[in-house]
Amino acid sequence: MSEEPGLGAVLDVLSDEYAREILAATSVKPMSAQQLAEACEMSEPTVYRRIERLREYDLLGERTEIRDDGNHHSVYTATLSELSVELDEGTFEATVQRRDTASFPGQQEDDTADRFASMWENL
Amino acid sequence: MAGISVVVEWAIVGLAFGSTLVGGYVGYQAYRGYRRHDSRAMRALSLGLVLLTTVAFGIAFGGSVLLRQGYLALDYQPALTLVTRSLQFLGVILIAYSLHSRV
Repeated sequence: MSEEPGLGAVLDVLSDEYAREILAATSVKPMSAQQLAEACEMSEPTVYRRIERLREYDLLGERTEIRDDGNHHSVYTATLSELSVELDEGTFEATVQRRDTASFPGQQEDDTADRFASMWENL
Repeated sequence: MAGISVVVEWAIVGLAFGSTLVGGYVGYQAYRGYRRHDSRAMRALSLGLVLLTTVAFGIAFGGSVLLRQGYLALDYQPALTLVTRSLQFLGVILIAYSLHSRV
């Protein structure tokens, strides 16, 4: 658990429909900005603005992929898994749960065979 | 000079044996992956790896011992090589198949 920025700010980011669409899409699989623009039918500048805001609050993970032709491009994965807001005794308590973004499928697995199966099947 | 050639021969046998052990280990982990996930891709991969390393080497090594000891006529050497190469080929075919098997 990292220290949470203000609840208001996080709710503000998530109140934006485009930002939510980007999170929804990247919770399925890592996507580049171009792919997001196509999949969510937004302009690329819109996508980049939302990505920047989501990155600011650590709701979106970024990693660089290198393609066969040597070109680098960033792909994004939703790190947000759950946001809960609790009201108790006059104070709001917000908890953001984040998932680890594995750089390859099965990275979190402890058992070699599980890691192997997961990697191999997702090649 | 004779000493060097003996060392080289043993190094070749040792390396081949090492490859077999490591290949067998990778094949074994793939087999465990198949058992734990009931995955056909992992089954093909483990079979392929075992054929490519353990089985092919075992037959080649066993065959060469039999040839040297004179249990097998030298005429059988091409056939033995053919069997070994066929198993290795089947092994890589299985691995290629497992790459594209989505179950």
